[in-house]
Amino acid sequence: MIDPKVRGQYTATIGIECHVQLKTKTKLFSAVGNDAREAPPNTLVNHIDFGLPGALPVLNKEAVHLACKAAFALGTVPERFSKFDRKHYFYPDLPMGYQITQFDEPIMKGGFINILVDGEERLIRIHHTHMEADAGKSVHPTGKDYSLVDLNRAGTPLLEIVSEPDMHSAKEAKAYARELNLRMRYADVSDANLFYGNMRFDVNVSVSKTDELGTRTETKNLNSFKSVEKTVDYEIIRQIEQLEKGEPIVQETRGWDDAKQRTFSQRTKENADDYRYMPDPDIPPLVLEDNYITSVKAEMPELPDDYRQKFSQIGVDKAVIEDIIATPETAKLVSRVYESAGADHARRIAFWMMQPASDEDTEAEAQTASDDALVKLSELVAANKLSSTAAKEVLTELLKGATDPEKVAADKNLLQVSDEGAINDIVTQVLAENAKAAEDVKNGEMKAIGFLVGQVMKNSQGKANPAMATELIKKQLGL
Amino acid sequence: MAKLSREDILKLARLARLDLSDDEITEYSSELSEILQYVELLQSVDVDGLEPTNQVTGLTNVTRADEVRDYGYAPGDLLKNLPDQEDGQIKVKRMVG
Repeated sequence: MIDPKVRGQYTATIGIECHVQLKTKTKLFSAVGNDAREAPPNTLVNHIDFGLPGALPVLNKEAVHLACKAAFALGTVPERFSKFDRKHYFYPDLPMGYQITQFDEPIMKGGFINILVDGEERLIRIHHTHMEADAGKSVHPTGKDYSLVDLNRAGTPLLEIVSEPDMHSAKEAKAYARELNLRMRYADVSDANLFYGNMRFDVNVSVSKTDELGTRTETKNLNSFKSVEKTVDYEIIRQIEQLEKGEPIVQETRGWDDAKQRTFSQRTKENADDYRYMPDPDIPPLVLEDNYITSVKAEMPELPDDYRQKFSQIGVDKAVIEDIIATPETAKLVSRVYESAGADHARRIAFWMMQPASDEDTEAEAQTASDDALVKLSELVAANKLSSTAAKEVLTELLKGATDPEKVAADKNLLQVSDEGAINDIVTQVLAENAKAAEDVKNGEMKAIGFLVGQVMKNSQGKANPAMATELIKKQLGL
Repeated sequence: MAKLSREDILKLARLARLDLSDDEITEYSSELSEILQYVELLQSVDVDGLEPTNQVTGLTNVTRADEVRDYGYAPGDLLKNLPDQEDGQIKVKRMVG
C-alpha cells in the first residue's frame, strides 16, 4: 500500500482517446455492410478492404454527416476544410499497409465535455476529433503457431475523440467516458454499445510532483467505464510506486487484464514519425459549405444537457435525472409526458422509471410502457386512488405489457379505500386496540400518530388512504 | 548527407517487417543513401510562402451514398487468392506470443 502522504505529493494527469463506431449502413470507404456483429468471418469484405492494387476507396457521405452531428454534440462545429491521410504501419490486420485517417486537418477541432464529480462540475476540453477506418480483427488460437484475421471490421468508420490532458482522477476519467457515451447516443451518431466494442477507450496516464508532466503510459482498448476507472487507479499507484523506488517510467503501450485487475506492458510504441503520414491521394479533401453545416445543426436532437435542464426545472431530483438520462428512451418518454400532461405527472413518472442502482456497465434494457398508461397510473396516484407503493407494483405489470393501470390495480386489489365510513370503522378498531398510543397522541405526542396510521394501513391491507386515515384518527381523538 | 548506418537500415527493416541478410543490409545502406541524396536535391528549392500541395486533381467532396453495392463478385472470391486460410479466416504468422 502506498502512503497517502506520498500519494498526495503527486498530481495525476489523464487524457483519453476514444474510438466511436459511426452507425452507417456501409463502411467508410467501401460499399459493403458495416454490421460485423453476427456475420461469419470475411463475408463483409471487398477489394478495397483487402487492399488490392487498383482499388479506389470512396468516402461514405453518411459518415461525414454523422461526424458533423458529433461535432455539435461535442460542443464544437465541423471544420469547413478537412482531409484524409495515410498512417503507415505493417500489421496483418491492415492489408493496405496504411490506415486512412485524418492527421493535421481533422473534421473537427476543439469542443468540451462537462462532467459532475463529487458534486463539482468540471470542463474537459477536447483537442480534436478525426475520422478514420478501423483495422481488421485477429485471433490467436492457443497452442498454434499462427494467427487468424477477419477483415469484416476493416474499414468500419470510426471517430477518434482526443481529449486534452484535463483529467486528474479515476472518477473524472470514468465520468468523462460515460458522458461521451451519452452524447454519442443522444446525437444518434453511434449505437455506442460497449459490449459490441462500438466505443473503445485508450487512456493516457502520467504522474508528477512538479508542474512538469511526467512520462505517460497509454493503456489501450478499454471497453467499459469500469475498466477505464480501474486502469487509471492502477496506473497512478503503479507509477508512483515505481518513481518512489527511483525507477523511471517507460513510455509504453499497456493493456488491461480484467482477470488479474492490473495493467501489463505491451509492445513499445513506434515513434510518431515512424508512421510516415502523408496526404491520401485517393481521397480528395472535404469542403463543407455553410448551408450544409447549418442544416446539420438544425436537425440536432436534444442532448443530455437539454434534458438535465428541462427535468431540473420541473423539480426532478438530480440523482433521478442522471439515472433516467442513462437510458435515452426513458428521458424522451419523461419529456413527452411533461409536454402532454404537465410537470407533476412527469416528475412522478421520472421517479418510477429509475433503474435499480447498479454499477454494471451493461446498459439497462429499455423499458417499454406507453405514455398513456403511465400518465393514467400517475393520475390514479394524484387522485389518491393508489398509494405510491402500490403504483410501483402496477408499474411492473405495465412494463410487462399491461395497458390499463386501473384494471391492473383492481385485479390486484390495490385500489385505495377512500370510503370514509369503511376507514372510520377501521380507525375505531385500531384506537380501541392501541389505547396507549391513542392516549399519547391525545397528550400531544404527535409522533405516535404515525404508528396508528400504520396500524390502519395494516388492517386495511394497505388500501386505506393514509391522509384520510390521519384525519379520521385526529377527529376521533377530538384533536 | 552521410551514408545510412547499419542501425538505420535495421530500423527501417523492422518497420517494414523485412528480414534482411548481412549482404542485403550493406547493399541497401548504399542504395538507399543514393536515393536519399537524389531526393535531397529538393531541399535546395525555396518553398517559403508556398502552401503544401496535397492533391493535384483539384477535386473536392468525392463521396458516395451509404448503400450496399453489388460489386459483381462474392466475398468468398477474395479468399481464393489467399496463400492459407482456416474456416474463412486469413491464416498468418503468429502476431503475439
